[in-house]
Amino acid sequence: MKIASLAVALAVAAFPVLTHAQAAPATQNVKADEQIILKQVMTDKRAVYAQNLQLTEAESHVFWPIYDEYEGKAKKLNDEFLALVDDYAAKFGAMTDADATTMLKQKMQIEKDREVLKQTYTKKVAKVLPPVKALRYAQIETRLDNMIRRDVYGLIPLAQ
Amino acid sequence: MKSFKIALAAAALLSVAAPFAARAQSTYDDTQQLIAQIQADKRAVVLKAMALDDAQLTAFTPIYDAYQAERKQLMQRGVEIINAYSSNYDSMTDAAAKGLLKDWFKLQEDELALVKGTAKKLDKVLPTAKVLRFVQVENKLNTLLRLPGIQAIPLAK
Repeated sequence: MKIASLAVALAVAAFPVLTHAQAAPATQNVKADEQIILKQVMTDKRAVYAQNLQLTEAESHVFWPIYDEYEGKAKKLNDEFLALVDDYAAKFGAMTDADATTMLKQKMQIEKDREVLKQTYTKKVAKVLPPVKALRYAQIETRLDNMIRRDVYGLIPLAQ
Repeated sequence: MKSFKIALAAAALLSVAAPFAARAQSTYDDTQQLIAQIQADKRAVVLKAMALDDAQLTAFTPIYDAYQAERKQLMQRGVEIINAYSSNYDSMTDAAAKGLLKDWFKLQEDELALVKGTAKKLDKVLPTAKVLRFVQVENKLNTLLRLPGIQAIPLAK
């Protein structure tokens, strides 16, 4: 299964940086580690969809432009999240209430934007593909999203 | 690891909820019992991870317990969606697929809104760094809870 292969790739990508993160100061290189994971996922993700959606030629013709547009917007949100983690790492251990308030607000906004983006583009996919394939698309996206979250959250130390 | 135990309990919950696994006999009582077990384990993990002093703990606990009660309802809705999915799995109609997508997205929206609303309540009684920590702990645990179930459910065909 391609999704299983991606899970292994994620685990491999995360393992050395996890052990490193435990040995080094808590937030060192967190952003770089996340970028490694996200880059790995973005490379493999398209192949996962190609293999698991089983699109006809006509379906492929309408699906991939929507997918690429979605990924472009999702990347912007990922970049926003990485910038937030960078800020979090810089302030870790000396975080003021004002810092925490700003970061919490940004974090909740990114989460909301991600959900809106996911729903908007799933609806677009559902307009051009049969609903069962749109459901399948949403399932794959949910699986990948949760796998990424598990690995990325594992890198970020809890606020003090 | 306590979080690993929670993940196992979550996987067990899905095996009860969905007839894709060997344990196909879904019952309301079994599901409720497993949800209660997951919530009890999760509460212990969260209370330890939050590292609160006595005054903070007193302020945090009632808000967290109210949050857990609402999350229990969301978990129950998740089980109902999975059961509906499994009932329709072999002969999924377009209408059923649309309905499942709609219900699933609404559940995701409500989960986000619950965390956000609870963070606002906590921000009135705890330092914001602790509220941020609560959101982080919840995100980590909920991802661990969701993943075994998501991976156990076959893709729509």
